[in-house]
Amino acid sequence: MLALTGIDVHFGAVRALSQVDFLLNAGEVVALVGDNGAGKSTLLSVMAGARRPTGGHISVDGTRHDFHGPRDAAAAGVQIVYQDLALVDAADIATNITLGREPRRRAPAGWLGLVDKKAMRRVAREQLAALEVSNVGAVTQPVEMLSGGQRQAVALARAAIRLGTDNARMLLLDEPTAALGYQQSRQVERFIVRTAASGVGVVIVTHDLPLCFEVANRIVVLNRGRKVADVERAAADVDHVVGWITGSREPQAGLA
Amino acid sequence: MGSPAEHATVGGDLTPAAAPPSRAAGWAPRLAAGVRARGVVVIWLALVAFFSAWAGPAFFTLNNARLVADASATTAIFGAALGLCALAGALDLSVPGTAAVAGVVCAKLLADQVPTALAVFAAIGVGVVIGLVNAAAVELGLNPLATTIGMLTALSGIAALMSGNQPVLLSAAGNLNWLGNNHYLTIPAPVFVVAVIYVLGWLLLTKTYIGIRLLAVGGNADGARRIGVRAPAYRVLGFVLSGACAAIGGIVVAAVLSQASPTPDTNELFQALTAVALSGIALSGGRGSLPRVLFGALIIATLNSGLIIHGMAPAWATLATGILLVGALAIDQGTAKMLGFVRFRGTSSRRSG
Repeated sequence: MLALTGIDVHFGAVRALSQVDFLLNAGEVVALVGDNGAGKSTLLSVMAGARRPTGGHISVDGTRHDFHGPRDAAAAGVQIVYQDLALVDAADIATNITLGREPRRRAPAGWLGLVDKKAMRRVAREQLAALEVSNVGAVTQPVEMLSGGQRQAVALARAAIRLGTDNARMLLLDEPTAALGYQQSRQVERFIVRTAASGVGVVIVTHDLPLCFEVANRIVVLNRGRKVADVERAAADVDHVVGWITGSREPQAGLA
Repeated sequence: MGSPAEHATVGGDLTPAAAPPSRAAGWAPRLAAGVRARGVVVIWLALVAFFSAWAGPAFFTLNNARLVADASATTAIFGAALGLCALAGALDLSVPGTAAVAGVVCAKLLADQVPTALAVFAAIGVGVVIGLVNAAAVELGLNPLATTIGMLTALSGIAALMSGNQPVLLSAAGNLNWLGNNHYLTIPAPVFVVAVIYVLGWLLLTKTYIGIRLLAVGGNADGARRIGVRAPAYRVLGFVLSGACAAIGGIVVAAVLSQASPTPDTNELFQALTAVALSGIALSGGRGSLPRVLFGALIIATLNSGLIIHGMAPAWATLATGILLVGALAIDQGTAKMLGFVRFRGTSSRRSG
């Protein structure tokens, strides 16, 4: 479905990514792992259209795409939840969740760009409920009043809405559980599994190996900008994955 | 890549028990939130009450209310210009320059027998173009403050060149009294201009997706961009609205004075800036409400009126306005701390992979 071929990203003399191939199929969860600086987030931002690769190309369903920005990626069906969440602190929960996809009033008010605030709040509450998050409180509170986990829930809810409204079929999550406690990580895990079960391909960038082995179908390991392993979860072994991450294990045959 | 330190900005869980202390329902955060939401209205009402008792019987009269409304009108219009742009994330200091050029353009066109409506719209169009030029420079990566100060200087040069550095008088035939000195239902004309700008601005910001996104871009431009909002477009819109409002302000000032001065009125800029600061609009963007700017402008005019009616020299009002500006910023800072805002949360963990 989403295929990246020979992706290079250079920052001046620094090669953040070299000749990386990556494939994401419908309904599949791929974990992208690697040490700090391995290029995981860079690869994710290339998929999300937030960074243009220096070389290589991206195709969706066999059609080549040149993502000039996040809007192009979204139009091709790719949604992302950034690690910093990209929330607007001063805006309320409902506004954040629907930002960019604000429900409009019916015509003729809709022609003037008037938004349906009631629908905005309802949609926000429904999405949070679907995420099994019941403790956020009123969706009219500003996001800056929320705790870190609640903020994560808001960002996930925003992505979930877009999966529906944009018919997006690929979801990218950057460190979705890095800041979360045990219970909240389980909620996110269930969200990932449910989302994949609905046919959406999910990529998670994470340091959380237990999460990888819990939810991923496939594990892709990056080391210093190169792909060193691409293994089915069933065939993977934690020690091998750690070896690839740290570089103490030789890359898989045919890679790097 | 994400290091543990970068994650420190996002901590906690989804339950209220782990919410930061700011959510604990103490009196201090509630007071702070209340001050931020309604402080400017309370200050204004307090001033009205104080001067009614102190300044003498001439203060609390319908006639003086008209004078105060009239006096605050231009500050309110320029305040809307500054406020709309500030909400989108940039401070536009070229406002008085735009006003001077627009006023001169309007007066010159009227002197050349151009129909009034056409002259007014052309002058507003000039304001829009100036806004676009400001926006283009800022989108090229130039610092908004420096850019708009440069524009202010350039515009004062343009206004001087166009007018021969002389005020352009409005003739009896081409007067703008309908916009300046006329009263409708005993209310001065500029007050209606203010009403139209603020109602439209309020509708735009709170009821339309355009305003919602403009505020989002002002609050977190990079975040909004990465989730697919056309951030530059909304910053441009902020400058265009600012330019248009500044031009309207320039036309109204020319209408009231029956002449267009080519010299930018920087005093008007500082008054408008004070009104914006009093309203609690963050000068860094994304936070605040336009109607409160109106109360900011009313506070300044009320203060002036009360002090003058009491018989104090106008210099005292100038002094008080300056203290208000600093005081407003101090209150903003203080209430933000009480609410526990981590002002730059969300940008601190931005990184490149």
